[in-house]
Amino acid sequence: MANLTQPKEPLTFRKILNNSIVSYTLAVVMAFIASGIFIALMGYDVLKAFQTIFTVSFRTPNGFIQTLLKFIPLTLIALAFTVPFATGKFNIGGEGQLLVGAIAATTVGILAADLPKILLLPLVLLAGTVAGGLWGLIPGWLLYRFRINEILTTVLLNFVSFQLLNFVATEVFPDPAAGHPTTVPIGKGGWLPMLVSNPPLHSGLIIMLAFAAVIYFYSTRTTGGYELVATGANPRAASVFGINVRVMFLLGLVVGGALAGLAGGIEVAGVHHNLIEGMQSNFQALGLIIGLISKGSSLAVPFVAFFIAILEVGASAMQRTMGIPVEVVYIVEALILLFVLMADVVRRK
Amino acid sequence: MEFIGELSYFLKQMFLTMVPFILAAQGTMLGGRTGVFCVAQEGIMLTTASVGFIVAFQTNSIFLGILAAFVVGGLFGLVMAYMTTTLKMNQFVIGLALFFIGVGVSTLIPKLVIGVTLVPPLIPTLPNVPIPLLSKIPFFGDIFFNQNVLVYFSVVISLLLYYFLYRTSAGLSMRSVGENPKAADALGINVSRNRYIAVILGCALIGLAGVYLPMVYTGTFTELMVKGRGWLANALAFFGGWRPLQILLGSLFFAAIEVLGFRVQVAVSRIPYQFLLMLPYLATIVVMIFSFRKPTTPGFLGKNYDREKRTL
Amino acid sequence: MAEHEVILQMNNINKAFDGNRALDNVNFELGSREIMGLLGGNGAGKTTLMNVLYGLYRQDSGEIILKGKKISITSPGDAIRHGIGMVHQHFLQINNFPVIQNIILGTPVKEKFTMNLVEEKKKVSELCERFEISVDLDAEVGELPMGTRQKVEILKALYRGIDILILDEPTTNLTPQEVDALFLTLKVMVNEGLSIVFITHKLREVLSVADRITLLRNGHNVTTMPRSEANEEALVWGMVGEDMDVKSSVIFSKEQRSAARIDLSATPVLDVENISLVNEQGINRLNDVTFQIHSGEIFGVAGVAGNGQLELAESLVGIQPLSAGKVRFYGQETPMVTAELLEKWLTYIPEDRLDDGYLPKANVAQNLILGAQHKQPYSNKGIIDWKKVFAASWQLIKEYNIKTGGPSDTAANLSGGNIQRLMIARAFAHAGKSMILAHCPTRGLDLPSMDFVYKKMLERRSQDFSTLLISEDLDELLLLCDRIGVMYRGKLVGILSREQFDKYEIGRMMSGVHG
Repeated sequence: MANLTQPKEPLTFRKILNNSIVSYTLAVVMAFIASGIFIALMGYDVLKAFQTIFTVSFRTPNGFIQTLLKFIPLTLIALAFTVPFATGKFNIGGEGQLLVGAIAATTVGILAADLPKILLLPLVLLAGTVAGGLWGLIPGWLLYRFRINEILTTVLLNFVSFQLLNFVATEVFPDPAAGHPTTVPIGKGGWLPMLVSNPPLHSGLIIMLAFAAVIYFYSTRTTGGYELVATGANPRAASVFGINVRVMFLLGLVVGGALAGLAGGIEVAGVHHNLIEGMQSNFQALGLIIGLISKGSSLAVPFVAFFIAILEVGASAMQRTMGIPVEVVYIVEALILLFVLMADVVRRK
Repeated sequence: MEFIGELSYFLKQMFLTMVPFILAAQGTMLGGRTGVFCVAQEGIMLTTASVGFIVAFQTNSIFLGILAAFVVGGLFGLVMAYMTTTLKMNQFVIGLALFFIGVGVSTLIPKLVIGVTLVPPLIPTLPNVPIPLLSKIPFFGDIFFNQNVLVYFSVVISLLLYYFLYRTSAGLSMRSVGENPKAADALGINVSRNRYIAVILGCALIGLAGVYLPMVYTGTFTELMVKGRGWLANALAFFGGWRPLQILLGSLFFAAIEVLGFRVQVAVSRIPYQFLLMLPYLATIVVMIFSFRKPTTPGFLGKNYDREKRTL
Repeated sequence: MAEHEVILQMNNINKAFDGNRALDNVNFELGSREIMGLLGGNGAGKTTLMNVLYGLYRQDSGEIILKGKKISITSPGDAIRHGIGMVHQHFLQINNFPVIQNIILGTPVKEKFTMNLVEEKKKVSELCERFEISVDLDAEVGELPMGTRQKVEILKALYRGIDILILDEPTTNLTPQEVDALFLTLKVMVNEGLSIVFITHKLREVLSVADRITLLRNGHNVTTMPRSEANEEALVWGMVGEDMDVKSSVIFSKEQRSAARIDLSATPVLDVENISLVNEQGINRLNDVTFQIHSGEIFGVAGVAGNGQLELAESLVGIQPLSAGKVRFYGQETPMVTAELLEKWLTYIPEDRLDDGYLPKANVAQNLILGAQHKQPYSNKGIIDWKKVFAASWQLIKEYNIKTGGPSDTAANLSGGNIQRLMIARAFAHAGKSMILAHCPTRGLDLPSMDFVYKKMLERRSQDFSTLLISEDLDELLLLCDRIGVMYRGKLVGILSREQFDKYEIGRMMSGVHG
């Protein structure tokens, strides 16, 4: 009965706030209240808007599969941000890496269109991954060799990749029937098998979940992951104690690029079956926001990504049925990020 | 004769094109001189391009449009300064969050105010203002002294910033905050106040850079119209070693590359235009290899200062 | 000594950091034209108290009375306006500004729209003359030697017309000769009407320069007494309190330790032969350095900070590449790769604990295995066994008295002294039989912890293990080392063995005068 003599510490409001799950949930709720006020000021029905956002993903199979289809690339591109972020480096080039991955995947899929599935599908996905990794290697190497700020190089390469895609889609493999820069489709052997055929859900979901699990295991249980984290925690001290931090930076950016490139490959092999200008949608910004809300935790990324996918699908429905611009959901997401970040400041005090 | 004509056209375009680079890079530099490194330029420029255009369109006043852009840019600066200087949150994270918000807001506002239209709404572009006498100088007069007001403004503001930062005691204090805020603080210099002023004014200048695009180039706002100029300006700040005059010179280089791409595109059709459009970004990356770690970069760039944080 | 009229009082000052009490109802007073020695071990609260007076910290409660009037100081600007100046232990200067700009920074300038500093230079020159200080006003501060940079700090304070000057551990970077010169300058300043607070943890310094002594321990007042009534033994007891047994301590031991008997014929543990280092800026930082360390030896390196000690340490750990020369461990040449060196030959306690020594964003356990993450039992074939890491961490936390919530607590929550203990625990725990390279290992430790480290070092010495101890604290080196090498401008200007130890001789070598 020892614990009878020990005075129980009172459960104060501050202590509840100090629990991270409670405080983040509170931050999300506050973000919705704030954006609700904003939507109301624009003259829309707030409750109906939020109801649309949250129920679309779960009311119909189609809505749910739409959400899963967004969930796949968003998770990968957010991981493309968080893996380098673990070493303290910012990869703002996920979009470009995704496109370059898609370009390589399409090129392989078109040039080797007659190969059987057992060869072509792995080749298409591998091409995407490798190309994305190489696209991440450029800023990685510039950082390694010349110590050039990776934020600028990764983002500038996005703009290069837009032109590259436009070139491939209009000059190399153009589809003359399309009114928009688009390539001809890749060979059927390069298509990802479907998990559900109607509405279609491709098996990229499984690949994505496997990668997310491997990355989580690697970063928390292995010495290599420890070295990545130590580098991000204080690169100078890590290098003083024998970790080659510049290699870690390079590795982080290459792995990040490869993940985004894989996302590009999956989008080609699973969704579009060709290359389309604008296929990156707004994944870049969303990947960034998912990565930042997750605070770089690879465990949190899939959950946050799923949540954001719900918001995105809901927002399109909201625009269709209520005429509220989809960009409103940007405000919601940005406020969630700011409030989550502020929650840390409040807890620190 | 044709060569002279092409040269004069090229130079005139170059001075026209350098403006957003100068304004955004000087704005970045000003905040950076106090140690605050903002990476939201692209987002700020998009928002001010959008807001500035809408205000000018609705009020029929170019001046009000420019003023609105200046104010909105300053508001971004206020948020940036508050989050980093007062709340001591990571400068890069906040910068990226503001970038994200800027991108979203820029397309939201036209949809809310104007709605979706088939024909883009237009405003008259900024007229050229020839300077009496000077603009009559053969060859050079038209290139230098027959431009729009913001061209003149961007040069004047660069010179003023140089004078302020390097020739006045207030400028010395401001720079000391970016070099070693603890030393500045210990001498009674208000670190926070200097950071707020520099970041708000800096972001306001970035705001002007944004509104320049619809006001001079297109006459309307289009989605993602900044096309990386915000990020390029950020690189330009490094290229110029965070010094106003060097940034002014560097902007000529950035402008020349951009104009070159367009001129070659017109003249030589064999090269796929996509590769010419890549040029500014690739050239910037190459330039950064030679200019990144300049010793004139502020010593405390990107770091927050907390007086009561014990360092021993 | 005549009675001094009291000009400053600090009453019942309290200050806590994140719930840790740094000052507990501390009282302090200063007389006019007085040198007040503020004495105490690290963590006693001396600097915190003076930072409150200088406006860098806000007290949680308590009052400050200046010349009979209660005043409120919320920023250094307030302190300066009240005539209070402070010279910090780590100089607060802007390295790439010239001396004159550093001095006038933040003060009204006569020609503020041209920055023509003629008037100001004249005023500073007058001050230099009056206080017998000489400095080149146009030199860039970062290029100047430590002794001169300290003069710049003093000039900064004098320029603002202060009448109370606080000096925080001002002798840290000075040779014994420069210390004597500083003490003379202090006397001149007092004669010119200033009052001085002299913060130090060195007993001998307060006894030789102070008029009165205020002693703090663990954020409490212990005593305040005139110099004439002070006695060394009582002050020692006052500094350490009951936390430490003075009689069995290393620091206050009266016994003369003799040098280790070294077998010079055996292969040295570390053999450094003619090494040189030219840094990225092309400056020669190490110049033809040669020495050996034998097993069972504590080899000391003395010198004023910035004379190549950091480069020596970092080149031996493989952080900075050597330009020339050979390094052998047990007669074997090894590639100078940090990971390999740490695995086979040595463990390292870096000088700069905040930048080089710990991972603030990681937890305590992750910090404790830094550099040893590949070693058994922490990991096996690349997979980390966190259970074992945590168990080992709990043990180290207890043994080295690290104040933390536990292995999973964020390292950012550690105080400076506890970060130091963490680095020491890590180095000693992973050293095994290999050498420890310790650079200023006791910086920021209170006296009992310091003594604990000294005992550990001597214990390793008695087990025939060796240590390379680089320190700026000459007393520490004289206390522990078997031999001391002195560095000056990248050269090892001489090596003295224990029988030859002489403070002033070492001081001469530290300033480049070689007999």
